[in-house]
Amino acid sequence: MFEMLSFEFIQRALIASVIIGLVCSIIGVFVILRNLTFIGAGTSHAAFAGVTLGYLINYNPLSFAIVFSLLTVWIVGYLNLKGYLKLDASVGIFYSLTMALAVLFIGLMKVYNAEVYGYLFGSILSVTKGDLAIILILGLAVLSLVYLFFKEFHFITFDEEMAQASGIAAGWLSFLLLTMIALTIVISLKSVGAILVFALIVTPAAAAYQLTFSMIRMFLYSAVIGITASVGGVFLSYWLDLPSGATTVLFVSAMFFLSLIFSPKRGYIS
Amino acid sequence: MSNNVIIRFSHATIAYQRRTALTDINLEIFQGEFVGIIGPNGSGKTTMLKSILGLIRPTHGSVQIFDCACHKLRCRHKAKIGYIPQKGQIDPNFPVTVMETVMMGRYSSIGLLRRPSNDDRELVKHALREVEMDGYADAPLGHLSGGQQQRVLIARALVQQPEVLLMDEPTTGIDTPTQYSIIRLISNLQKNLKLTVLLVTHDINMISPYVDRMALINTQLHAIGAPADVLNEKTLTAIYGKQVVVTTKGGGTYVIVGDYHYV
Ligand SMILES: Nc1ncnc2c1ncn2[C@@H]1O[C@H](COP(=O)(O)OP(=O)(O)OP(=O)(O)O)[C@@H](O)[C@H]1O
Ligand SMILES: [Mg+2]
Repeated sequence: MFEMLSFEFIQRALIASVIIGLVCSIIGVFVILRNLTFIGAGTSHAAFAGVTLGYLINYNPLSFAIVFSLLTVWIVGYLNLKGYLKLDASVGIFYSLTMALAVLFIGLMKVYNAEVYGYLFGSILSVTKGDLAIILILGLAVLSLVYLFFKEFHFITFDEEMAQASGIAAGWLSFLLLTMIALTIVISLKSVGAILVFALIVTPAAAAYQLTFSMIRMFLYSAVIGITASVGGVFLSYWLDLPSGATTVLFVSAMFFLSLIFSPKRGYIS
Repeated sequence: MSNNVIIRFSHATIAYQRRTALTDINLEIFQGEFVGIIGPNGSGKTTMLKSILGLIRPTHGSVQIFDCACHKLRCRHKAKIGYIPQKGQIDPNFPVTVMETVMMGRYSSIGLLRRPSNDDRELVKHALREVEMDGYADAPLGHLSGGQQQRVLIARALVQQPEVLLMDEPTTGIDTPTQYSIIRLISNLQKNLKLTVLLVTHDINMISPYVDRMALINTQLHAIGAPADVLNEKTLTAIYGKQVVVTTKGGGTYVIVGDYHYV
């Protein structure tokens, strides 16, 4: 039954899914608690637009995904910081703008390219050595930043103004957090896809939110749920021969509904 | 009370975009003083505290604390200002315990890249004892009553080991006996720890026995001085724009204001 583990592509998929499951679920805690859900959705569309541009001009799609998603979060974050436009509204603009760009770039392609669509729905079994290296490097970078600035992120998540008043560089850290969200989406793009990555970010954290009143424990539960879902998704999709992204999302959603049932907060979520 | 000036407003005017919230404020707050700030809604009380915290800078004039322009304050100095913001609604499900909340007060002193030590934990426990909330360390913050939450936020300000405490309506929305117990707590802490306290409130009668001076503001500083000196019908009517009655009874001064919502 475990002979599948001897395949190199399965090994890569499993390593990738552990890292992605962990990074997404940790970042997801901040996304849930700071109400940044929509920004994640907007950013993954921007990243996808970057990918399509990469395929169109035949140059490393991932680097365009990074540029597009970083530009999106920085511009949106800046407009919000300056008080020009609330996050939700500007994300809404970028959400459709980048989607329109993606459609445009795809339309400009002379030939049909199935790989592009792989980035929409993800396929973790096709992660290459190069992909894995990027996932490792960026994933570790995001996790290290969370670890290094943990207490500062903790504070601004609870009460940004108060954090700033007591001398924490809240504005700067907010930008850093947005940057980390963008990078998290980029590394998940190929394996989970632009449309489904969102589930891996939001759902484990939302499930963990149901289960605890301590932020520290929320990180722990979210990570356990996230890794279980993404690794479990790989196994299930291999055994049952189902698309990996969809399997993972269905799996993690099932865990979310279980958490609602077992929630000491009785399923209330704000 | 020593006569060292700790906070100084000189000709400070503070505006948001086009709206001026405070005009030409001149005010000196002395070390170890308990000052009450009174004024109707929208009179600039919160703005005053935020300018001291350096969250907003004056368009004209200056606001200084520890002889340094507030908007340029370094973290080390900011840690010396404890702040209790005007009550926002704490999401009852936000995953944060009392202990975690109070520990946040230590974060800027602990500094970047470092973790809370045993000493920090001791300070937190000590502060919780001082506000009589020991025993709640592991309780979710959202499960406490408004008065208990306010005590926790006071503890969070105390673990900063502040020299100055800025409080924005710490007793709003709390039952009357609890309001008095919180004011007494603040007054005792102020004396024991020799804190300089600026407290914004709408309840003139409650704080007048405790404060050294009162500042009456409505965009401008209308009066500053001992409660008995500034609480007169002329000044109060000027800031509230409503008929105000002042009576003295048993040595205390009592103020009865009409409806003072929007002026
Ligand atoms: N962020 C802001 N942007 C624009 N205007 C603001 C902002 N904050 C306050 N103001 C304006 O500045 C003025 C003073 O507001 P401030 O919050 O200081 O009043 P306050 O005395 O604390 O009132 P309250 O008793 O209601 O708390 C008001 O007219 C208010 O509308
Ligand atoms: Mg106010």
